[in-house]
Amino acid sequence: MTDNVEAQAELESVLKDEIIRMYQDVADNPEGEFHFFHGRQAAEMFAYDAAALDEAPEGAVASFAGVGNPHLRSNVQPGETVLDLGSGAGLDAIIAARSTGPTSKVIGVDLNPSMCLKAQAHAAATGSEMECHEGRMESIPLADESVDVILSNGVINLSFQKRKVIEEMFRVLRPGGRISITDIVSAKQLSQSIVNDPKLWAA
Amino acid sequence: MFRLLEESGFQRVRSAVVPGFQFRQASTQNSAEAYGVKAVMMTAEKLGSD
Repeated sequence: MTDNVEAQAELESVLKDEIIRMYQDVADNPEGEFHFFHGRQAAEMFAYDAAALDEAPEGAVASFAGVGNPHLRSNVQPGETVLDLGSGAGLDAIIAARSTGPTSKVIGVDLNPSMCLKAQAHAAATGSEMECHEGRMESIPLADESVDVILSNGVINLSFQKRKVIEEMFRVLRPGGRISITDIVSAKQLSQSIVNDPKLWAA
Repeated sequence: MFRLLEESGFQRVRSAVVPGFQFRQASTQNSAEAYGVKAVMMTAEKLGSD
């Protein structure tokens, strides 16, 4: 039993490093080719608002690695507090801030502290303030019932503890709050070879 | 994930497939299709107490 727990912890640690490496690579080398579509091409594929993409910093758009468009159904309102879980280079947070205006608060949480800094710099370039916390989505570094809307784009699938992630989302959401997420799901149980391969899992 | 949302207390859970999602590389796309992998958009609410 202890061996299993230790093996799981080790795998999760390796996975964390691989996730940071992969998405840092997208941010540092947006002209690179990855097995997923990214950048403006991906955002347009998912019907992101062209004007919002034009107004966002180039680096935020180029580093976009989402799997859909959570803004289509988020219905974010002025004054609301929005959490972007797995905020990466900040494009979704910036678009949320654009929708909500200066009375709102947009918060990012990302595993990678350097991505938080990048996202905040991108947000500042648009005149928005973005709070960003380094943290794990299995332990969101925010108080109970502190946000109105949670956006997330393609990150929950990366967790080995999806139930914990969802419970944490529920915890930080205010009563009456809502989530709008896009993510990858699988109809079949992934093979153990995929589960045990951080590079494939991080994909 | 739909079930996890409901079990965690979320209500009015809705989901829809993200149209047009695919992986860039054919080999990854083929593997994804074999496992029924797809991108989904989900919304849900945490209802208020009143």
